[in-house]
Amino acid sequence: MAASQANPTRSNAVLLVVVLFAQLLLMAGSLRREDAADAVEDGVRTASGPVLGAARTVGGSVVAALRMFGDVGRSRKELAAMRGEIATLSAEVDRRQEQALENDRLRRLLGMRERLAPRSVGAEVIAASLTGQSRVVVVGVGTEAGIRVDLPAVAWGGAVGRVVAAGSGYAKIRLLTDPSSGVSGVVQRSRVEGVLRGRADGLFEMQYVPKYADVAVGDAVVTSGLDGVFPKGFTIGRVARVQETTGASMRIEVLPEIDYGEIEEVLILLEKTGSETLEAGAPAEPAR
Amino acid sequence: MIVLRASLALAVALGVQIVLGLWAPGLTRWVDVLLFPVAWYALAVSQRAGLVVGCVAGLLQDAWLQAEMFGASGFSKSLLGWALGGLAARFELNVAWGRATAGALLPVIDRLVLLGLRALFDRGVVAPDPVELAVRAGAGALLTLGVFATMDRVLKIDPRRGRRARPPR
Repeated sequence: MAASQANPTRSNAVLLVVVLFAQLLLMAGSLRREDAADAVEDGVRTASGPVLGAARTVGGSVVAALRMFGDVGRSRKELAAMRGEIATLSAEVDRRQEQALENDRLRRLLGMRERLAPRSVGAEVIAASLTGQSRVVVVGVGTEAGIRVDLPAVAWGGAVGRVVAAGSGYAKIRLLTDPSSGVSGVVQRSRVEGVLRGRADGLFEMQYVPKYADVAVGDAVVTSGLDGVFPKGFTIGRVARVQETTGASMRIEVLPEIDYGEIEEVLILLEKTGSETLEAGAPAEPAR
Repeated sequence: MIVLRASLALAVALGVQIVLGLWAPGLTRWVDVLLFPVAWYALAVSQRAGLVVGCVAGLLQDAWLQAEMFGASGFSKSLLGWALGGLAARFELNVAWGRATAGALLPVIDRLVLLGLRALFDRGVVAPDPVELAVRAGAGALLTLGVFATMDRVLKIDPRRGRRARPPR
């Protein structure tokens, strides 16, 4: 009896060691971008892709339903008398508002696309994760549209992130506020250059800025183009705090320009630079 | 059958996590839905089931919701599933206090293991925010109790009897 009880425990321990060792190999391979690790990751995504599609459909319906019934609790007595008519009208208003907002966003993206990069792809965000250690969004277009790893992604408002994985029908974008992200930036006013790294609290820290550089709170920070990924001129954020340190560089906190939790569409640039760059803060002309 | 049910549980958990990311992305910082199937299979089924479900749950999370280090969440959740399943085999944890404790500790330990792995591979490590850990623990405990209570009703399990009796092999 004791032997039979020990066997499952021992076999489970052996299985654990094998599984953990395999995971360590996957991690190492993933960081070195080895084909085997990428193949396993692609396989997992392919197998679970239908779940994502179903979640998108259900999630969209849930959000729409929540918006439709969002006002009911606040005015239950009044809505009780006019429930049917108000619910129908609210749903219609919400739908039309959503369409109007989406049209406005898409027009801006299209206008920016026409000015910036002849070859670019618009994509809808289908999943997002904004934890302290990892900030990613997943979009619903992938290699079939020409998307590949290390392409920049932008949205109305500025730079969003970089593609870290792409497959058929999806692409995973690491946001600039991810702690592993880094982007070369420049203070628009004084042309002071530095590197912006994401932080767990959702802000940026601008590093390698000399101690006596001309940087002030409120200064706009844009991409410098020196990292070879983002074209220059895309807004990253605004300086929120400047702290002098005892070292050779100052400590600068930058507040992101974009609310990454509200992104619904992005534009992925298929070329590193376009024929014209968009000046930070300048609105795109609507598409004709 | 158990494979089918586990696959369904993982698919539902992934779907809920995705919908949460669409509806309220900020909440994904506090809640890890993919830990619930791990807790369930570790406490209510077996150590091996907890280990395997943890492995698959972690790989799903790595594939869709992590920017780098594919395998990190798989490592962490495999370890958690195995450890929780082992403890559940020795102590009666499939009761309210055990479930709440597991629900509180799993997200905290998961976060710390991920931090350790990032340090091991010389990646940028962000010191854990104690408030974030506390919120994750509290939310995890409450939601785990809710999930288990729902599963008890669905599967008609008497929680006072603890782990379901399984015939010896």
